Amino acid sequence: MLDFDSTKPIYIQISEWLENEILNGQFEENDKVHSQYSLADMFNINPATAAKGLNLLHDDKVLYNRRGLGKFVAENAKQIILAKRKSETLKGLIQDVVIEAHQLKVTEEELIKMIQLSFSEEKGDE
Amino acid sequence: MVIETNTLTKYFNKVKAVNEISISIQPNTITGIVGRNGAGKTTFLKMIAGFLKQSSGDINVFSERPFNSLIVANNSIFVDDEMLFPDVLTLREILVEGNRFHKNWDMNLAHKMLDYFSFNPDAVHAQLSKGKKSTFNMLFGLSTRCALTIFDEPTTGMDAAVRKDFYRVLLKDYLAYPRTFLISSHHLDEMEHLLEDVLLIDKGKLLIHMPIDDLQEYAVGLSGSALIMECVLKDQDVLYRETINKNTIFAIVKRGADVENLKRMGIRIAPVSPSDLSIYMTKDFKGGIDDVLK
Repeated sequence: MLDFDSTKPIYIQISEWLENEILNGQFEENDKVHSQYSLADMFNINPATAAKGLNLLHDDKVLYNRRGLGKFVAENAKQIILAKRKSETLKGLIQDVVIEAHQLKVTEEELIKMIQLSFSEEKGDE
Repeated sequence: MVIETNTLTKYFNKVKAVNEISISIQPNTITGIVGRNGAGKTTFLKMIAGFLKQSSGDINVFSERPFNSLIVANNSIFVDDEMLFPDVLTLREILVEGNRFHKNWDMNLAHKMLDYFSFNPDAVHAQLSKGKKSTFNMLFGLSTRCALTIFDEPTTGMDAAVRKDFYRVLLKDYLAYPRTFLISSHHLDEMEHLLEDVLLIDKGKLLIHMPIDDLQEYAVGLSGSALIMECVLKDQDVLYRETINKNTIFAIVKRGADVENLKRMGIRIAPVSPSDLSIYMTKDFKGGIDDVLK
């Protein structure tokens, strides 16, 4: 759900929430998603904010418009979302890690080892 | 536009309470008006409602000058904690009169809220507690369904639960019956999710008028060693700065800086919430409350 205390703007949280709904199959391709008004009611936010979140996904081609009917899930929505998260979210996280490593004087090799270790721990959990 | 002002100014004995404010408000939006005590919020709102006449500048509400305008009086309601209702009427009777006065009045909504907030319908307005008075005025204001509904510090005296209910019922009713709301409050953090636009007023002047979504990303906080900060701040649009101690400077700047680059220089970046931003931007540069105690 939404975190009003988060530093992330609400409209971005809305678009990410909708993306998650699409990724976990709550909405299939060509399904109609919530309108700005039902999102506003669900999350207790201004409908203009909800509309901004929807428009973000429309700009990214995750959703498409049907005039007068609302917004629908695009055919390759899942791939677009995953590609976007890889290129934006993951890249940003890695950048932060590298800067932090630099400040802590952790070398590239050490950092790669830590990442590999984390990978193998993840595999062990499965 | 529902409301348009152009260099709107109001003097009280040579003191400018409102100083050349020019804004336009789109119909069917919720705008939050924030600022410190005495910033001029109430004076500004009272000119919009037609309760006060401006000293200079122009103001149009529903394309009319609001002062002495029947159209504005008919289509707007101004709610604050000084609303006067006749003492001879019970709360129930006040609602009946509300229904006679306001053409869009929703009696069902009024009665449901009266019941929900546990009012005694036979009580007298003057004998209500501060919080209860605010709650009643709020429910009266919402029930009018006026095209322009102005709430001036509506949550005064309300407890946290009632404030939360108020924001929720306002949003629900707005979704069902879109209309223009102006809400002034000290609690921007509490109501920001509800707003479309924010107006920040300080010492009678307009500092900011923008969508709340933009305000959330408007500024960032930077902190770092004084030496590096002095250097960095030269190229930034500084909204606020503070020397934390001899070696550390904290500043709020307009976003747009190359954040990654600043991080590499060892500067810590922190987001600034709209509520914090409005506090910092309206701070007097007299030092802080700590200096009072020195």
